[in-house]
Amino acid sequence: QDLADGYLSKTHFQVRKRKIPPDLQERNDNIEQMLLTHVEESMDDSEVAGICATEEVVRYEYHVLYSSSYQVPVLYFRACFLDGRPLTLDEIWESVHACYQARLLEGPWDTITQQEHPLLGQPFFVLHPCRTHEFMSSILADSQKQNRHTNYVILWLSTVGPVVGLNLPLSYAKLAPEQNMNADSF
Amino acid sequence: MTDDKDVLRDVWFGRIPTCFTLYQDEITEREAEPYYLLLPRISYLTLVTDKVKKHFQKVMRQEEVSEIWFEYEGTPLKWHYPIGLLFDLHASNTALPWSITVHFKNFPEKDLLHCHSKDVIEAHFMACIKEADALKHKSQVINEMQKKDHKQLWMGLQNDKFEQFWAINRKLMEYSPEESGFRYIPFRIYQATTERPFIQKLFRPIASGGQLHTLGDLLKDVCPSAVAPEDGEQKTQVMIHGIEPMLETPVQWLSEHMSYPDNFLHISIIPRPTD
Repeated sequence: QDLADGYLSKTHFQVRKRKIPPDLQERNDNIEQMLLTHVEESMDDSEVAGICATEEVVRYEYHVLYSSSYQVPVLYFRACFLDGRPLTLDEIWESVHACYQARLLEGPWDTITQQEHPLLGQPFFVLHPCRTHEFMSSILADSQKQNRHTNYVILWLSTVGPVVGLNLPLSYAKLAPEQNMNADSF
Repeated sequence: MTDDKDVLRDVWFGRIPTCFTLYQDEITEREAEPYYLLLPRISYLTLVTDKVKKHFQKVMRQEEVSEIWFEYEGTPLKWHYPIGLLFDLHASNTALPWSITVHFKNFPEKDLLHCHSKDVIEAHFMACIKEADALKHKSQVINEMQKKDHKQLWMGLQNDKFEQFWAINRKLMEYSPEESGFRYIPFRIYQATTERPFIQKLFRPIASGGQLHTLGDLLKDVCPSAVAPEDGEQKTQVMIHGIEPMLETPVQWLSEHMSYPDNFLHISIIPRPTD
């Protein structure tokens, strides 16, 4: 079984929140939403920097690769400021919403480590895949009981993605309902 | 006739004479003398260079020192690759000693992983061993071991203790009598000329008819340009631990005897010297 040597990739810009007291949180969320809309429309780094001059803009890159050794998808990600300076894992962690922080600490994903991207040869952070089969099996078993079609990659990505700041739009869930892949078919 | 076990020792005790020189733009209080060291082929740069770091830090001011990194002829050296692989890939056909430049500033974030402590090296080493066993035994052997066995593999490497290491590693080299070998061979093929850092694919050591696959079979399948002679002449060398094994060698044997301690066969494809 020889899978193509490609990967799924997504880049998005995000305004990085500075630490603010809870009562100001709601107001800031609205501002962030407005800024994000502007940011997504423009793909030019220099334009983005101009609009968001008062906040720090971070460029996130997410790649989904397939590990033939573990026969599961693996999420590689990195983030850098617009001047090219990469974020450390601590800095990325700060932007992860508090509820996901708790989940990541208790979840079966083991740790996030820095690793070499197997196709680009550059440092990325990686969500370790060795327990993926564990938590995916239970989700797949449930959905098969309910006779629901599932796209394995979308299911996996919607589970692990938000934990590292990658949120899938709902439209992804409506894609290709005829596909019914499970872990065994990888 | 050399015993197969002698190969294990020869691989473990291989050394590369190296000369470390401080990068000229580093700010020093007095002149920095080069530092000479025999590097173990099977280990990792950041694991065996504490003395190098101490030597150069003696002539530098504290504030000028941040994370150490190494470079050879302008190429940052990836500490997470075994030393023998780095040498074979970048410098095998040059004169000894191997000349490595030492840096303490301007860490190349886009090229190198950070290595803030020995724990990072241990985590990387153990991750490689686990991945190798996923390929060889569907992780059954590594998962059956206790934490102290895992620790013994790392300590054996860190302290250069062949017997201590192999007391545990031999279990990772076994296979059930019904099989003739591992499920898949853990290997990576490196070529300095490509953007892609390495090639790694699923490859069975035994053909469907029961014959043992050879190194030549592996290369033909995964990296055909390395075996197909252009103009009838072999332009490249296939190197493992500084030697060119015969292409007829069974990969199962290579995996058992010439893997690095991380249980991977790290194979370099390098240009054949013209003289």
